[in-house]
Amino acid sequence: MPSWPEKHTYIGAHTRRIDGPAKVSGTARYTSDVQPSGWLYGMILRSKWPKATITSINLEKARKLPGIKAAILVRDCPRTVRYYGEELAAVAGTSKQACLDALRSIEVEARPLPFVVHEEDAKDEGSPRVWDKVANLSKPRLDEHGDVDKAFAECAAVVEGFFTTPVQIHNCLETHGNTISWTEEGLTAWSSTQGITSVRDGLAGNLDVPQSQVRVISEYMGGGFGSKFGPGVEGAVAARLSKEAKAPVKLMLPRFDEALAVGNRPSSFQQLKLGATAEGKLHAFQMDNYGTAGIGSGGVTEGGGGGAEIRMPYIYHVPNIRVRQSGVNVDAGSARAFRAPGHPPASFGMESIMDELAVKLNLDPLELRLRNDPSEVRRKEYRLGAERFGWTEKYRKPGSSPGPIKTGVGCAGATWGGGGHGTHAEAQINPDSSIEFRCGTQDLGTGTYTLIAVVAADLLGLKPEQITVRIGDTRYPPSGGSGGSTTAASVSPAIYDVCMNALQQLQERSSITDARGPNWAAACKKLGVEPLIVSGRWQRGLSSSGAGGVQFAEVRVDTETGFVKVKKITCIQDGGMFVNELTAESQVNGGILMGMGYALYEGRVMDRTSGVVLNPNFETYKLTGLADTPEIDVVLLDMPERGVIGIGEPVTIPTAAAIANAVANALGVRVSSLPITPAKVLAALGKVKPVA
Amino acid sequence: MKAFQFVTATSPERARDLLGNNGRFLGGGIDLLGEMKEYIAQPDTLVDVKAVPDLHRIDQTDKSWSIGANVTVAELEDHPDLKSVFPGLQQAAAEVGSRQIRNVATLGGNLAQHSRCWYYRQRDVHCLKKGGDMCYARHGDNRYHSLFTGTTCISPVVSNLAIALAALNAAVVVQRGPNNLARMSIADLYARAWENPISQNSLDPGDLILRVELPVQNRRSAYLQVSDKSAFDWALVSCASAGGIQGGKLHQARVVLGAIANVPYQVQAANQFLEGKTLDEDNANKAADLMLQGAEPLSDNAYKLPIARALIRRTLLQLKA
Ligand SMILES: Cc1cc2nc3c(=O)[nH]c(=O)nc-3n(C[C@H](O)[C@H](O)[C@H](O)COP(=O)(O)OP(=O)(O)OC[C@H]3O[C@@H](n4cnc5c(N)ncnc54)[C@H](O)[C@@H]3O)c2cc1C
Ligand code: SF4
Repeated sequence: MPSWPEKHTYIGAHTRRIDGPAKVSGTARYTSDVQPSGWLYGMILRSKWPKATITSINLEKARKLPGIKAAILVRDCPRTVRYYGEELAAVAGTSKQACLDALRSIEVEARPLPFVVHEEDAKDEGSPRVWDKVANLSKPRLDEHGDVDKAFAECAAVVEGFFTTPVQIHNCLETHGNTISWTEEGLTAWSSTQGITSVRDGLAGNLDVPQSQVRVISEYMGGGFGSKFGPGVEGAVAARLSKEAKAPVKLMLPRFDEALAVGNRPSSFQQLKLGATAEGKLHAFQMDNYGTAGIGSGGVTEGGGGGAEIRMPYIYHVPNIRVRQSGVNVDAGSARAFRAPGHPPASFGMESIMDELAVKLNLDPLELRLRNDPSEVRRKEYRLGAERFGWTEKYRKPGSSPGPIKTGVGCAGATWGGGGHGTHAEAQINPDSSIEFRCGTQDLGTGTYTLIAVVAADLLGLKPEQITVRIGDTRYPPSGGSGGSTTAASVSPAIYDVCMNALQQLQERSSITDARGPNWAAACKKLGVEPLIVSGRWQRGLSSSGAGGVQFAEVRVDTETGFVKVKKITCIQDGGMFVNELTAESQVNGGILMGMGYALYEGRVMDRTSGVVLNPNFETYKLTGLADTPEIDVVLLDMPERGVIGIGEPVTIPTAAAIANAVANALGVRVSSLPITPAKVLAALGKVKPVA
Repeated sequence: MKAFQFVTATSPERARDLLGNNGRFLGGGIDLLGEMKEYIAQPDTLVDVKAVPDLHRIDQTDKSWSIGANVTVAELEDHPDLKSVFPGLQQAAAEVGSRQIRNVATLGGNLAQHSRCWYYRQRDVHCLKKGGDMCYARHGDNRYHSLFTGTTCISPVVSNLAIALAALNAAVVVQRGPNNLARMSIADLYARAWENPISQNSLDPGDLILRVELPVQNRRSAYLQVSDKSAFDWALVSCASAGGIQGGKLHQARVVLGAIANVPYQVQAANQFLEGKTLDEDNANKAADLMLQGAEPLSDNAYKLPIARALIRRTLLQLKA
């Protein structure tokens, strides 16, 4: 079995992103920067109806407008649309304004149908059905073991609660989109994607083009979080427009559209019951949960993991459990995988009820976790984190902090699988000693360029700046999608293999016994005129899966205005061998800020009467901002014996739960619904009179 | 957006002439361009008023200040003397949107900005304010709407500056007709929004805000707001208080609430109650009771009441400092 060398120069160090200068100076090419000659703008006409039979769409006027080069139907009529914003038609033209004018000239005849957009309404038998033949609320799936009723009767303490989480929108800073050129020679797509290969396969399948004739390029991209694995309707449409217009088409979605049709995290409505023995050992658990994944509830949607089910009782082992879960369809866009699908809502519900139980048992919530968390690593992290965070000094009985502005603390844990998968890579070593790595992975923004440079530099005794990294092109040896915290664990072993093969071959051809570091240039020179091309692939033993991680939150809550300020988050995150601590810390920071958004600000708002999304912009869909950012203390628990493990997902999982617990600790009452807004804090405190 | 003519005015009279039948004045464009991009506003002509002389000036004397309509929100935020003379206005300016928005947004545009109701701003919802036949918010999601809801449209005034300026007893000088300068109180400037759901303020087409005049009366002032986020977020409720303190007693106090009514919300009885009172929690709470009497919260916004109460008390108590 291969293994990582014990001594490192760059692995585990803090290396700045090798593409940092390109990003900050604007030379890094994102999809929207690509401008092949003769390119056109593409735009999509979306349904204004939350549900309707579309009887006809007339594109004639649009086709005749100056500057318009193509106009297509997304699907033939008659057809049914099932949410506000579903794609109807698309145009390509020489200017943005020409396309906007063309969209407005398209005549759509529709027969509006009754619709339903709120989960609470949709699950009612009498409400309009999203799909004629199936009830909106699916039959609950039951997961039961042990004698739950008997077990609850045996418990010394039992707590119950109802916890809700909203539909969260990915809202990647770079919107979804592609620039696509489809000619007789084939199709080239510059794509904002976390899976160049899956986009290639999606386009090839959709458009009936051999995979060998589809090339997908993603040099740089601005976030996917699970929503950017496939080409999407917008990708297929861009390709069709390109074919019709005989020109490249750039179709980047406007921010508005991101709230409608390109994925989201399902909501959850969790009725929970948890019981423990007098010794504080979890004994019985019950959950009834439903949530919506939009029109495609329950099923696995693009990218996987788009269903509304959550994994309960999350990280805990409870001997007697009864879990019933349903999905509920509403007339809204489908869910897609979203950073740790199913975990943040599970963590919020479970860790909240754990703290309620701790109160009932008169136990410190940290102690309850230490008694029940089955993971030794997490228990160690709790102890370490508690010390760093100052848990013992900061923890007080719920609601006992004096004055109108109260402080509180909370904690929560995470789990994630991840792991590596088949990745191929190659390197070209030139006689002038330059070296280029090629791998068909992509940099989701996590620092994959730098990761490859760090691994290669470390193993070859070079500096990261000496390594040229080429990724994000399906012409390079294939890797998988960047999702599920798998990229680092997939790519690093392949680069390791390339480096080992490279050294062996270089040493053979140059007769230099150790071609690394100081001997590198001399060895390369001996190649003469023929560069060395070596390949490698993912190897077992260099990466693994399974990370935990715990977070502690400290908040300040103004009980007169309901305003919550997060003062500090401490994160203890295990991984395996951290390849680059700087970019790993960056992942943690990003995960925490995203988790804060889930805790305090985010949530799609649908309007019952009109069926539209009311907050399709950053003004009313609120995201964590600079001024909201707390002090973040990160400890990476390096465990090199485990090989490389990705941590992109676990770092966002427990944040919301820890914050919610801290708020409850500050107030002495719980806000059991995310996001925790001033309105909900004041309501929990009994300061808002219900309106008749 | 719909195609339009772009013209630059060099005098207030010229600005009015250039406007035509369906023109709009353009300040920083932060509000207007947003409306145009969503096809909510579709003017034929944009009259850029930023080159009109004198509209960019701040003149100060011992008795009063005059602030031109083209002064940006950032300039108010950064002005070295404003902070000590009118701290409430400076605080209100500093809380407007983001620094990028403040750099561009003008005083005139901030006062004349349109409704921020999320139904109004939604391109496919045709509510009362856009000439439709119903208010979606009243029985819809009204978490950000008014507490004083006797009006047909319940979209509250959201200009931070209007709230602070109302507390400071400002007058707005408006060019209304060739030789007609109108002087309006902040209450006058918004009165029509109370009566007419189509209007967001009392300006007629062609009315050009020239400047705002502020009396310096040895007054103190404070502005506070609460939002969902720490910064770059609209106020859920805002409040400005101003007044003079002599011998420990409050005089000529004005308390104004924002984001809870179609107009900057003032209650004479509350201001009168505070006359000659010592500034303490008890009196501040009584003033809050008077201010909030008659509030009729909707299904989702009753939480604004406790926030308003807290902000009234806090801004008043800040006057002591
Ligand atoms: C994301 C976001 C957040 C925001 N947050 C806040 C906030 O927290 N608090 C707040 O107060 N504001 C906020 N704003 C609103 C912003 O401050 C206003 O849009 C801005 O001040 C308008 O000024 P402007 O110069 O850009 O006006 P413009 O957009 O140019 O004009 C606005 C309106 O005023 C008219 N107008 C312009 N100048 C004059 C004049 N001299 N006389 C008569 N009419 C005139 C225009 O015709 C138009 O109808 C926010 C805006 C955005 C987009
Ligand atoms: S509050 Fe006013 S702007 Fe909002 S929906 Fe009602 S009428 Fe329209």
